[in-house]
Amino acid sequence: MTDQITTDPSKPAQRMRAGSMSLTVGPWIVAAVALMLMPYIFTSNSALTIMNQMWITVVFALAYNMLLGQGGMLSFGHAVYAGVGGFACMHIMNNSDLFASFPLPVLPIFGGLFGMGLAMIVGAFSTRSAGTVFAMISLGVGELIAACSVIIVAFFGGEEGVSGDRTYAMPFFGNEFLQQIDVYYLTSFWVLLSAILMYLWSRTPVGRMANAVRDNPERAEFLGYSARWVRFYSFVASGFFAGVAGGLFAINYEILTEENLNTASSGVILLVTFLGGVGFFFGPIIGAIVFTLVQTVLSLQTELWAFYAGSLFLATVMFFPGGLAGLMMMHVPVFRLGKMKMLLLPYAKTLIPAAIGILGLCCLVEMTFHYRHAATGDHEMTLFWTTFDSHTLMPWIIAAAITAVGLGIAKMTAPALKEAWDEANTAGGTS
Amino acid sequence: MSTPALELTGLKKSFGKAEIIRGIDLSIGKSERHAIIGPNGAGKSTLFNLITARFPATEGTVKLHGEDLAGLQPFQINRKGLSRSFQITNIFPKMTVFENVRCALLWAQGYKYSFWNLVNKSRRLNEGADAILDQINLLPRRDLPAGMLSYAEQRALEIGITIAGGADVIMLDEPTAGMSHSETDYITDLILKVTEGKTLIMVEHDMGVVFGLADRISVLVYGEIIATNTPELVRADPKVQEAYLGAALEEEH
Ligand SMILES: Nc1ncnc2c1ncn2[C@@H]1O[C@H](COP(=O)(O)OP(=O)(O)O)[C@@H](O)[C@H]1O
Ligand SMILES: [Mg+2]
Repeated sequence: MTDQITTDPSKPAQRMRAGSMSLTVGPWIVAAVALMLMPYIFTSNSALTIMNQMWITVVFALAYNMLLGQGGMLSFGHAVYAGVGGFACMHIMNNSDLFASFPLPVLPIFGGLFGMGLAMIVGAFSTRSAGTVFAMISLGVGELIAACSVIIVAFFGGEEGVSGDRTYAMPFFGNEFLQQIDVYYLTSFWVLLSAILMYLWSRTPVGRMANAVRDNPERAEFLGYSARWVRFYSFVASGFFAGVAGGLFAINYEILTEENLNTASSGVILLVTFLGGVGFFFGPIIGAIVFTLVQTVLSLQTELWAFYAGSLFLATVMFFPGGLAGLMMMHVPVFRLGKMKMLLLPYAKTLIPAAIGILGLCCLVEMTFHYRHAATGDHEMTLFWTTFDSHTLMPWIIAAAITAVGLGIAKMTAPALKEAWDEANTAGGTS
Repeated sequence: MSTPALELTGLKKSFGKAEIIRGIDLSIGKSERHAIIGPNGAGKSTLFNLITARFPATEGTVKLHGEDLAGLQPFQINRKGLSRSFQITNIFPKMTVFENVRCALLWAQGYKYSFWNLVNKSRRLNEGADAILDQINLLPRRDLPAGMLSYAEQRALEIGITIAGGADVIMLDEPTAGMSHSETDYITDLILKVTEGKTLIMVEHDMGVVFGLADRISVLVYGEIIATNTPELVRADPKVQEAYLGAALEEEH
């Protein structure tokens, strides 16, 4: 309410970053409608699977960012909370009497409660400090619990994991969730609900103090708040929503294995969140969408998808520490000044050659991979609808030339882009 | 006599072998404005840090309204109505000026670790924060990140978040350090205004400020208080003149 009145409209990015924006329902309605309509646009079953995976990752990444972005706690073991929530849901699924007593859409709550319970135990000692100590404890606990998966076989199911059948739940208005589309709407409901709740959390006193403790824990202590307990509450809430993500995973895949809680999964969620941008609430959402697309769509095209995902992550960390969301928000002031048009041509002049150059580079990578790893005698490969022999010189020369020319032009036009950017960010004096 | 607002007995602090605070006894009454002066490195900030439990004391006791603060942590002491500022500005640089003040109001208004209230919906909270901003003249800067304020503005914000919670004992560590004359006058007026009826303990180098503001002055030299008295008597005390004031006054001319 009062937030809006004296706000300086020329500083939208700062206002958003600092998080003093008022509560708006607009974006949530748009999100709800988009979630409803997506299956009509992407109708195939595999598209539904990809979207389900995307929304689960969104919930998990948002939960993770409650720690990293909002609370300033870097966790290397957060998959554990999602994983334990998911395993708990699998066991509930396999307990037929219990499972038949409530409808399936309720199940993620149990995942959340188990994730939260574990977070309360671990948080009791890990949130005493942030920084390196917290990171190391999270890593240790992550490894420990991942190791438990082969020790406590009754809960983690050993190497095979735990599988179950979601359709044994009490029918939900006659629906037994046999179809992928039913699961899609269940997942969509939960992603929307979780995102709204996590957003509201950031607007509560304890959510605001999480930011304060992140920025300056000592000062927060001299304002009456125990930095440790503020961290603890963030940690527990994050554990809850991670557990919800785990529960959604259980419903979607009907199996959980050690892979769901190992350190590699914890690393992926850190990567996803950072890629999207930790400084904005919606950052992890973008990160989850982009990463899932890279993971699913790109992995159909190339075995080296993880290499490209890693490169994308590296480029983001190095050149855009604000992540994709930060990159988008950088353009808000330009947009407000009405100077977006000025950027279009310089962008095209730099980004199109750069994209072509990068594709050329990818070709070189793929050819090297094929040259080294294809079965002996298999010299033929296909890239961008072109089939050629990877053991002849010509394709290498062409790919190298495309790379050099593309990146060369991008490099030449970059200063002009920089100039245009500076110009577009200056108020007044338009052409 | 009523219990003093703050009472220190036999307070000592050593860092390793170096004894920085060497036995301090001091009693500060309710609603008193008390200044602590002394040369650089005398231990004034360290004394503040001992009182507010930023550092543990090696020996001695601190009593707030007669209650021993031993074993309490800074946030617990703050909840008992003692609030302090820092010599080196200590704010939340990435949050807006408004958010800084609002965070300082949360505990005082009883929100604790609430996750069932929305900060934007509370009138009392937002209006309270705006009232403080108005008092410290930072309303025009309300939505800027605090780190972007000028030095003097950050000092004003530092005082703002110190007093926001309505603590009845306020401790300010060199609030005017590094300020121009006009800024100093402004901050002095501000301090007078916001500490009305409260107990104020303040470290200050500017003698103009000290003599204009303080009811009593303590002179701290090498970790010991060599005199505690009204401004006039402190000024006339030969011990003080020898140890500190003389040098300080000479410096000013
Ligand atoms: N954390 C610390 N560790 C070691 N020595 C310290 C520490 N804090 C302060 N000191 C020393 O204590 C002495 C008094 O410092 P301080 O209280 O900041 O003086 P003042 O505020 O009166 O200028 C200085 O000699 C300083 O070096
Ligand atoms: Mg000092």
